[in-house]
Amino acid sequence: MKFFLKILVLTVWWLSLGAAHAQITLDITKGVEGSGIPIAIAPFGGSAPENIAGIVAADLKQTGKFAPQPPQVRADYAVVGQAAPGGSRGYIVQFQLTGAQGGQLLNLSFDVPANQLRAVAHRISDLIYEKLTNEKGLAGTRIAYVALGRGVYYLVVSDADGHNPQVILRSSQPIMSPSWSPDGSKLAYVSFEGRRAQIIVQDVYTGARRSVSAAPGINGAPSWSPDGRRLVFTLSQDGNPEIYALDLASQYPTRLTSSSSIDTEAVWLPDGSIVFTSDRGGSPQLYRIGPGGGSPQRLTFQGNYNARPTVSPDGRYIAMVHQRGGRFYIAVLDLKTRQFRVLTSGGLDESPSFAPNGKTIIYSNGRGVATVSVDGGASREIALRGNARDAAWAPYGR
Amino acid sequence: MQNLVRMLIAAAALALLASCAATGENTGQDQTATGVPDATAQPGVTAQPEQEVYSYPYGQAPSLDTYDTFDTSGGSATAHAGGQSGQAVTGPSGGMASADRIVYFSYDSTNIVPESRTIIENNARSLAKNPQMITQLEGHTDERGSREYNIALGERRANAVRQTMIAMGVSPQQIRVVSFGEERPAAAGHDERSYALNRRVEIIY
Repeated sequence: MKFFLKILVLTVWWLSLGAAHAQITLDITKGVEGSGIPIAIAPFGGSAPENIAGIVAADLKQTGKFAPQPPQVRADYAVVGQAAPGGSRGYIVQFQLTGAQGGQLLNLSFDVPANQLRAVAHRISDLIYEKLTNEKGLAGTRIAYVALGRGVYYLVVSDADGHNPQVILRSSQPIMSPSWSPDGSKLAYVSFEGRRAQIIVQDVYTGARRSVSAAPGINGAPSWSPDGRRLVFTLSQDGNPEIYALDLASQYPTRLTSSSSIDTEAVWLPDGSIVFTSDRGGSPQLYRIGPGGGSPQRLTFQGNYNARPTVSPDGRYIAMVHQRGGRFYIAVLDLKTRQFRVLTSGGLDESPSFAPNGKTIIYSNGRGVATVSVDGGASREIALRGNARDAAWAPYGR
Repeated sequence: MQNLVRMLIAAAALALLASCAATGENTGQDQTATGVPDATAQPGVTAQPEQEVYSYPYGQAPSLDTYDTFDTSGGSATAHAGGQSGQAVTGPSGGMASADRIVYFSYDSTNIVPESRTIIENNARSLAKNPQMITQLEGHTDERGSREYNIALGERRANAVRQTMIAMGVSPQQIRVVSFGEERPAAAGHDERSYALNRRVEIIY
């Protein structure tokens, strides 16, 4: 009964924060997790149409490093704030972060229009996160993903917490493998419009599209070079899937691999080398080649299926889809220590993508999209509409 | 005790629904016609008349209404669809080939089983008799494993059917191959029964 009262109090608290979406509902059933730095977050005073404290609490909880608490609970850190009409743009949002000893760590205010209140809440989350962890935060970033509903495919860009979903493409045929340009202004993806595969580059802000490859057969797995001038992708025009690099200015694709096996899912490392999936050894494994191709060096040796690499922004980690006992998980290989770790436990996990701070991976789990920390820890689902998959985390903004 | 917790969850779910409905009202409704038809979309060889591709500048799609047309039973991030039995997916242009034009495969296999040979033979015969006829072989996989790798596996299956047809006298010029990997499942379940229906090549005319 005491347990129930605790849950009731917490529920009322969460609902009072207005955090009534599926993510939080899930959390209620689990109660408060023990892990993470306790941080007490009081409802913001004032009368803003967005619930700033609720957004900040959800953002900090999603990082996996904080355990937000109601204000009356003793915690290492405390956040209090105010969001009220005023200023030159509509609202003044002010907040303070204090340590356990009462020392003030942050004290800032913002003057914003009403439609920026949510963005300001994310900014506050990132400021708190950065102050207490010395890492860049992710609350202000965005993701792209593919959603399927009633036979219609959507390419959607949303905030990292799943809010503010914006459809940028709608098609009656599949859409796959969105990949952000390094400046975050464009997405390359695979479209099956016309009932065949092609690779499209779409400007996120104008909606303008350009077909950059529509060869016979597979046109798949596009990925941008770190300088944003080239794409690697997969074509099967010569009979079986091979990796090609395309200079976007010259429009001329160069073939980088040559084998009678499947070569696909190429991604660039910061040093210009390329990691891809190949079954040239009998089962899919990850291989690495130089910027211009050459003899591939095998990177993975764990089990009989390692595919769909994604590289951390600093080039140190490669996350991938790893099969064990017939089930599929997200694993990460540390290129420095050669340590290989399985991070998830879903069984249908796929399509990993690194967050721009390199600390978190977003992936699909067969039901939707979730995140998991590279250091391990609990995975957290992101509440997205539709059958969401194939998420790609956007780079830090322009 | 458990019931009370459940009631609280239900209350939270209601609040969620209420907030969704409120959002919907604010975004205007039935504005599907405002989508700008994409000039660069190239009609493919077998484009369906109802084919639709719309691109939008960020923030300008009739987003929530367009994007809210979901079957919530199978789609939401919280609903666990595991163990559901197979259910046919019928997209706008997703009409499936009839049974005499589908070749099924075992897990991780591109082998053509004897029962399938008859299906391929019948189709190959009419193709060989009508050299102006074109077919598109569409390869599919089940949902397990990496999506793009599955595209490659689906192509291998379609190529296996293609080779068999060519061996039966069909001209390579009459055959196009497309792999949809796991992107267009015939059955939506996460079980072996659905997987068996999804590992297939459809012979499309």
